[in-house]
Amino acid sequence: MTEALRVDAVSFRYPDAARPALVDVTLEIEEGTFALAVGPTGAGKSTFLRVANGLVPHFTGGSFTGRVLAAGRDTLAYPPRALADAVAFVPQDPGASFVLDRVEEELAYGMENLGVDPAHMRRRVEEMLDLLDIEPLRGRSVRSISGGERQRVAIAAALAAGPRILVLDEPTSQLDPQGAEHVFAALQRLVHDQGMTVILAEHRLERVAGQVDLALGFDEGRVTAGDPAAVIRRLAMGPPVARLGRLVGWDPVPLTVRDARRLAGALPARLHPVTPAPGDTRVELRRLSARHGDAGALRDVDLIVGEGEIVAVMGRNGAGKTTLLRSIAGVHAPASGTVQVGGHAPRPGIDAALCPQEPESVLFAETVAGEVAVTLKARGIDGVRPEAVLMELGIADLAAHHPRDLSAGQRLLVATAAIAAGQAPVLLLDEPTRGLDPEAKERLARFLRSHAADGGTVLFATHDVELAATVATRVVMLAGGEVIADGDPASVLGDSHVFAPQMTRAFGPGWLTPEQVAEALA
Amino acid sequence: MHPGAWILWATCAGMVTFTTTNPFYLALIVAVAFFVYAAQRVPGPTARSFRVFAIAGLITLVVRTSLVFLGTVDAGNVAFAALEGARLATLLIVFGTFNAVTDPFGVVRLAPRRFHEPALAAALALSIAPRTVAMVGRVREAQTLRGILTSWRTLPSLAVPVLETGMEEAVTLAESMDARGHGRGRRTRYRPAHWTPAAVVVSVASVVAAGVFVVAAWTQRGDLHPSTSPLAWPQVQPALLAAIGLLALPAFAPRPREEP
Repeated sequence: MTEALRVDAVSFRYPDAARPALVDVTLEIEEGTFALAVGPTGAGKSTFLRVANGLVPHFTGGSFTGRVLAAGRDTLAYPPRALADAVAFVPQDPGASFVLDRVEEELAYGMENLGVDPAHMRRRVEEMLDLLDIEPLRGRSVRSISGGERQRVAIAAALAAGPRILVLDEPTSQLDPQGAEHVFAALQRLVHDQGMTVILAEHRLERVAGQVDLALGFDEGRVTAGDPAAVIRRLAMGPPVARLGRLVGWDPVPLTVRDARRLAGALPARLHPVTPAPGDTRVELRRLSARHGDAGALRDVDLIVGEGEIVAVMGRNGAGKTTLLRSIAGVHAPASGTVQVGGHAPRPGIDAALCPQEPESVLFAETVAGEVAVTLKARGIDGVRPEAVLMELGIADLAAHHPRDLSAGQRLLVATAAIAAGQAPVLLLDEPTRGLDPEAKERLARFLRSHAADGGTVLFATHDVELAATVATRVVMLAGGEVIADGDPASVLGDSHVFAPQMTRAFGPGWLTPEQVAEALA
Repeated sequence: MHPGAWILWATCAGMVTFTTTNPFYLALIVAVAFFVYAAQRVPGPTARSFRVFAIAGLITLVVRTSLVFLGTVDAGNVAFAALEGARLATLLIVFGTFNAVTDPFGVVRLAPRRFHEPALAAALALSIAPRTVAMVGRVREAQTLRGILTSWRTLPSLAVPVLETGMEEAVTLAESMDARGHGRGRRTRYRPAHWTPAAVVVSVASVVAAGVFVVAAWTQRGDLHPSTSPLAWPQVQPALLAAIGLLALPAFAPRPREEP
């Protein structure tokens, strides 16, 4: 078999960085492999992916030793553009990578550069539109489509050029579960039917762990490549079924729902736990309708959320989740109906604080601690040390770092800390787990619980069903701007085919977290 | 419409503006530009840059006029400076319209191969204005929701994320273009733009309009530069007004794209 990617003793340090991003990495990826890069946030996954087509070091500078052969070509001798026919790359933030304006033209851009025959190009664009299910978007501007749609367009644009190796950095972080499944199925097909090599980084292992052939485990710049189950076991992370396996002591740990079911056998249906009654009403929406551009985004939404509740707002891309949060925050004017927070119209940043989808929008201080201090000062909060807030989210060790030097997941935690520091009684988070590893997610969950326990109210929009299963006391499901389900996680998620967490899939309605199942099996 | 027709339109409208300081002609050009903008703007953030150029035009007018107050102030001087300022402002508005009705990267692809790189750099520079406008709105809202009201004192909270994110996005874009083979030299074109009858009509009309003004400037007719000392009421000539009217034709062309 021929190898698609060969990495020989590669070490890399970014300019001015204190420690190397990659340390003596040696590995081989054979053609037709579906490879998954896993590891904690900031461990070097994104850097490695950019090594594969020479963006590192051609675009970053820094000190690079060792050798990388991508499709047989040395990345030091060939700049990324000379590898464009062999390696395609989809970056973490697809919005910033678009070159042209219309979706269709964006798909053709890479082929234009490669000099593909126009007739072939037309056919290929149509195939990609179908493969990623984005045909309706063809005439739209790439700047006017939603985050999830952008991810699919970026993948289609990368694939259109017909690469042998496809490299993707968290390709489904903004996709709803259905959309993510669709993308992974498409990738799987490319690997199996066309022998393409796919290398991707992903934190939500429940989405991919069972499908990949090879795992690359990252730990502080060191990489171990091997069988997915072995690598995931060694890294002490993995999808909820793997977590369950570790709790119960199965060896090897299961990676898929099917494996877990075989190991555990059937469990009786779990009785719905009694959810504690929420405290006094904090957020009250009455027949709220809102528009987004020319389209209706919310229709006749009635919602009452009390103190101490943690509400997961779910639904497919474009269902109105962000508009709902922005309405509660008081920055999206209702078309009709009312929004009240604490008995009056919400004052943005005072009654409700919101952490946006792009954490970069709020980061401007020189240090992480400074970022938190700014909020404390702006809100006139004395007697709280910034470090204390960072500690709660487990990022105290980053206090002296420059926020822009951090990985995407770390930035998100910093932004969350900076926003939560304002002590607004209602905390709103839009997609709070992009780029977060399971451990960071666990810390975020603890943070949200403690905010709620202190009488705060949390609403977060997410596609991450496992986070919702772990932390939410209530799930509100939106579709087409309307509330279609509202209740405790066990009943709302357990009911759904698409949104069911792994434990529900494996053991039936009522089971949400590995801890619950482990307790029952003990 | 073919981007080439838009380039021709903008060049000709610019030439017409350049040849005159007559406030009536300038006002009509502004009206025509706004009409074309309203009818043909591309949906999305690019269109918002029109407002930025309009505001920049206004500032130019005010600054140019107020410069007079550094020297001898009389009605003639003030009028002269104001008319000069108005001409610059009109140029900016014409350019803003061009920006709002075309996709800068679509224009780049018309450039002959050897001019591709500089054209691309120009397109990137052009795309910065609308991106920045969109980002300022986003960052302001995000900071408000964090409890920081943007004012002069808290300007860094607005400016730093806008500039740094802008820089990061520019780098990502450059990386993405390189990774997708930009600059390999071999290029084919997906859906080349065609010269439709509408584009031809607009181009011819634009050239005629510019020609009329150039001839008028050459023969010193039509009161293109009304006297400011002594101050005199500007005259207009119907033929020149009609020529400016020709520049409104693109407004009636079929829309460049349809959003579902």
